[in-house]
Amino acid sequence: MEWQELTVKTNNESIEAINNMLMEAGASGIQVDDHSAVVVINAYFNERVKINELIPELQVRIDQLADFGLDPSPAEISLKPVNDDSWALTWEKYYHPTRLTRFLTVVPDWEEYQPTSQNELIIKLNPGRAFGTGTHPTTILTLQGLETVIRGGESMLDVGTGSGVLSIAAKLMGVEHIKAFDLDEVAVSSALENINLNPVAKDVEVSANDMLNGIDDVVDIIAANMLSDVIQPLIPQAFNCLKPGGKMVISGIINDKFDLIIDTLVQNGFTISETLAMDDWRGIIATRRLEED
Amino acid sequence: MAKKVANVVKLQIPAGKATPAPPVGPALGQAGINIMGFTKDFNARTADQAGTIIPVVITVFDDRSFEFITKTPPASVLLKKAAGIQKGSGEPNTNKVAEVTKDQVKEIAETKMKDLNAADVEAAMRMVEGTARSMGITVK
Repeated sequence: MEWQELTVKTNNESIEAINNMLMEAGASGIQVDDHSAVVVINAYFNERVKINELIPELQVRIDQLADFGLDPSPAEISLKPVNDDSWALTWEKYYHPTRLTRFLTVVPDWEEYQPTSQNELIIKLNPGRAFGTGTHPTTILTLQGLETVIRGGESMLDVGTGSGVLSIAAKLMGVEHIKAFDLDEVAVSSALENINLNPVAKDVEVSANDMLNGIDDVVDIIAANMLSDVIQPLIPQAFNCLKPGGKMVISGIINDKFDLIIDTLVQNGFTISETLAMDDWRGIIATRRLEED
Repeated sequence: MAKKVANVVKLQIPAGKATPAPPVGPALGQAGINIMGFTKDFNARTADQAGTIIPVVITVFDDRSFEFITKTPPASVLLKKAAGIQKGSGEPNTNKVAEVTKDQVKEIAETKMKDLNAADVEAAMRMVEGTARSMGITVK
């Protein structure tokens, strides 16, 4: 998607009024730099908003702020396209190999890395436009959970795969067959790219899908690293896609949603096998009850 | 040893819906922050306020770690709520769309006092009142 950056130079007292005009004009978000007397407001518009056509009206309305007792000076507006690559590439230079768990190390695609022990498993990742690095606490918790439950030879569904890091790690740890889903096409292409970087994961099937809607596979493990508001409706779906005794390994649960997710799991036929914590985040390994329980 | 602050980034973005797209990507990518790390944390902490624009102040340290705090919604959002409208007027000089009282302006000014960089409550009230009038909201 193409983006336009509209810049307004003003001063402190007009920030709120101008921000409102820009958001009502369709800005997706705003950055305010008020470190100096001239405040710089950058508003970002996607290609669906014809912002260049709105500039004359915005200029009139900003100049008009003086009528309402606000000083908008210098009230200068400029517009330029966002150079997509500059910020993405700037960020990459701060991404380096990181040991995630006892066995797993994530290595950026562009870096050379030698394992420090025989047991170390290497995940190659290119964060791409999905920006998944594998280093977020919720990813680490999910990987720790997978290390706990994987014995080798299992089948697995990876819901909300993002960068594909969980599927790649699961293949490295011996899972036999994996299907990975994500609602976001950018994530699907990012996952496919990362799977190609890791030959062990070449048979992971990646496709666009909304949670487990329409999926009738019945597997040993379901992994999901997503926020609680998405995990909650996933839980009953996961029950139907797990074998009795199968494991659901989930994270993305911020502390204050932990009890809600535990309750939802228990109400939907799961027992809690283990809970994990890192910073403000929680992970859970839940076991689907056997039919006779 | 305390970490040194390398940069402070101020954004206004929809609660629960941050993505790596602008403004988050350019602002944080240039500051060296793990973009996905921020969006996930922000969305989890603001999921309950979905639909509201949230000001967020991100402090970036010299080791590229970051902390962020979310603020109360912008004065314009509080004004719309107080006035019971979804959107301000496009022609605020001629088309007045709602009213708020001086007391409501004062309450909003006090709530947003710290964020407005105003010298005192009177200055903050003048900014909130000007913002209201720029949206076609009359202050009685």
